[in-house]
Amino acid sequence: MPAIVVEGLERAFDEVFAVQGVDLAVDEGEIYGFLGPNGAGKTTTVRMLTTLLLPTGGRATVAGHDVVKEARAVRTSIGVALQEAALDPLMTGRELIRLQATLQGIPTAEGKRRADDLLERVDLAEAADRRVGDYSGGMQRRLDLAAALVHEPRVLFLDEPTTGLDPVSRKTIWEEVRALNDEGTTVFLTTQYLEEADQLADNVGIIDSGRIVAEGTPESLKAEIGNPHIQLTLDEGSIARAEEVCGGIGKLLPPKDGRTVLVEVENGAADIPQVVRALDEAGIAVESLELVRPTLDDVFVEKTGYHLEQEEEESPEGEPVEA
Amino acid sequence: MEASATTAGAGAATALPTWRANAATIGALISRAKNELLRVPGAAIPGVLAPTIFFLGLNGVFGALTHLQGFTTGNYESFIVPVSMLQGAGFTGAAAGVNLARDIEQGWLDRLLVSPAPRWVLLAGTVLAASARALIPATFVFGMALALGAGWPGIDGLLVTYSMVAAMAAVAACWGSMLALHFKSQSAAPLMQAGTMALILTTTAYAPLALLQGWLQDIAWINPVTQVVDAARQGFVGGVTWAGTWPGIVALLGMLTFLGALALREMRRTAV
Amino acid sequence: MNSLATNLRVVRALGMRSIRQTFRRPQLMAPIIVFPTLLLAIQTGGAGSAINLPGFPPVQSFLQFMLAGAMMQSLMLAGNSGGIALAVDIEMGFTDRLFAAPISRFTIVLGRLAGTAALGLFAALWFLAIGLIFGAEIESGVPGALIAIALVTTCALAVGGIGAAIALRTGSASVVQGLFPLVLVVLFISTAFFPQDLMIEPAKTIAEYNPLSFVVDGIRDPMISGISGSETLDAVLAIAGIAALGLVLSARALRHRVRTG
Repeated sequence: MPAIVVEGLERAFDEVFAVQGVDLAVDEGEIYGFLGPNGAGKTTTVRMLTTLLLPTGGRATVAGHDVVKEARAVRTSIGVALQEAALDPLMTGRELIRLQATLQGIPTAEGKRRADDLLERVDLAEAADRRVGDYSGGMQRRLDLAAALVHEPRVLFLDEPTTGLDPVSRKTIWEEVRALNDEGTTVFLTTQYLEEADQLADNVGIIDSGRIVAEGTPESLKAEIGNPHIQLTLDEGSIARAEEVCGGIGKLLPPKDGRTVLVEVENGAADIPQVVRALDEAGIAVESLELVRPTLDDVFVEKTGYHLEQEEEESPEGEPVEA
Repeated sequence: MEASATTAGAGAATALPTWRANAATIGALISRAKNELLRVPGAAIPGVLAPTIFFLGLNGVFGALTHLQGFTTGNYESFIVPVSMLQGAGFTGAAAGVNLARDIEQGWLDRLLVSPAPRWVLLAGTVLAASARALIPATFVFGMALALGAGWPGIDGLLVTYSMVAAMAAVAACWGSMLALHFKSQSAAPLMQAGTMALILTTTAYAPLALLQGWLQDIAWINPVTQVVDAARQGFVGGVTWAGTWPGIVALLGMLTFLGALALREMRRTAV
Repeated sequence: MNSLATNLRVVRALGMRSIRQTFRRPQLMAPIIVFPTLLLAIQTGGAGSAINLPGFPPVQSFLQFMLAGAMMQSLMLAGNSGGIALAVDIEMGFTDRLFAAPISRFTIVLGRLAGTAALGLFAALWFLAIGLIFGAEIESGVPGALIAIALVTTCALAVGGIGAAIALRTGSASVVQGLFPLVLVVLFISTAFFPQDLMIEPAKTIAEYNPLSFVVDGIRDPMISGISGSETLDAVLAIAGIAALGLVLSARALRHRVRTG
């Protein structure tokens, strides 16, 4: 039985549809990456699946329970770490996990034991009796994750778990997610970072403006796009002329910024000499040239017409992890 | 065999029976609420300051009212101290609402809402914490009133007064929680505080019913909190009787039921 | 050195900003008007029989007596509110923008006080209207009303200076906001709500020397009787004293802020 089934899920706020007819299925033991820019509908979808928001259309089941009719049963089966790490700065880490255990109906002695184990697991044992308000951002995220695991949920929802974290903290979270998945936990992960979806997810759903625009394994999605492209960095004044020249060789793609030209080529590296010669004959100086194989951003561009990575650069939160 | 409150995930073979899980959750939420008092320096001061100022101020300003014919006591401190204790309860309950609004803004309430704990249990934790906390300003004001010459109400009078204070705090917490869950913002704080203040002062707070003027007399007559004020005041101005106590109990139960139901409705509407 | 004309232009511009800010946010204005109105209604109904006490000044009604106290409460809260607004400007860095401009630093404070004075004027008019609607007459008629309005507005300005001084010194809106209980304390130990002769010690003695008592009595006098030159003069002198204190504290706080940033 799939861990999560979503059929035609909708959520409208007055006249605005934040989520418009989302369909997806997540198998038991899978990591599902829900990828999209800010405002795409990721968090709204997660809030509906975790019974925090009532859908205005469609239906969904989590761990075999309907999110509306069997909301309480859903809550016993899920662990949730939301986009805002909802922590109390006056509590210590240990107190918070014990409280979470109590909320889940776990007896006190057992709750204490699990809290100790989890704090050890997320490397917070030494800081366990310090107030959460004194924790760094990375520590707070790890604590939030530990709290979501105290009752050993079947399905774990992580809403942008690494937004705002430094690269080292991000990788730590990734390792923990993989370890959980190895133990059998189904993970539904939302992210705006391509690298994260690419590295972690078994299947990826790309959402934009409230709709799923693509779904599949990272490899199958990239294979759909097919051809690699050549990325040229030039002087701003040469862009128009270079686009004219390259357009005659391959298909021009939307530029990332005002100094690059992207041209899709059928033969990969073999097309590079032709491009270089054409630009040289046109008297256009190239600062750098790179052959780029398809990424999830290319998939995103193909489906939406704009770059997810542009959104990433403009986002005030976090920085991309270096490959 | 009692049904379990939770059928927790993969590894939990030891879930508590329903009533114990609920009691444990309420206890944990009350324990969390006490952190603000114990871990934030001076956090208790505002809750104590307001009723103290009102007690000292009203006593200093309106103390001569006891000379009016028809006043039920010659000691204004005794007359007004239960009002100030109830005011402290009102402020404390409203503060619980403000804290809940802050929890909503900061996402903490979501953590509670995705747990299997029943909604009434989550609300009960907030309300009972306020009831307990209200005893602090009440005791401070009572101590000061005694020092300034208020009469000793007797053990029965004291028990009745403190019971009314705790229950009034619960009423105010239900009011504050309802507004917090409706507006989901701390900007509703003035409404929470003004509401409880108006409720407590539009009673026989300043003078016996017969000496109130015009519209206030009419309002006080129908305001259920008047029964609470009069019941809490008994020991200080005369003696405790069942006839003087039960109207206050009924009024409190009525308000708790009404406002508690509204707060619970808002809590249920906040999530699925 | 900036010319007087320039400074006046700056004060006018900042004053208009302050007034717009004040009246565009009803949720902030409401406590300044609603809370004193509520308290006025409750105290009039609750303690209204007090006019029957021996020694109570001859008044038409307790409402007539209490109006001055309500105005006083409102203008004190307006001063507190002006201080909060200035502290918010400091926290948000807006005052840095003003400090960096080629203007006299004190015009920044004066501009803020314009908003406070506007609130004071509004409060005076509001409570006069409330009084008239609910049957409280102004014994001295229009001249008496004008005196009351003038005293309330200038006192709001003076109290605003103290609020501004605290804001400049602390730079924290929450600190200024935390002084709200102090407003109540100061009012309770004045003649805002009851005649001084009928108050209980030690409030009675404190009220005798509290400068706010002189202001309240000056506002109240034309409402409950004919205009008395001595009461009005006492009120003006008290306001001048508060204004001088506010001026000195503001100037020092301003110097401190400019020096330390």
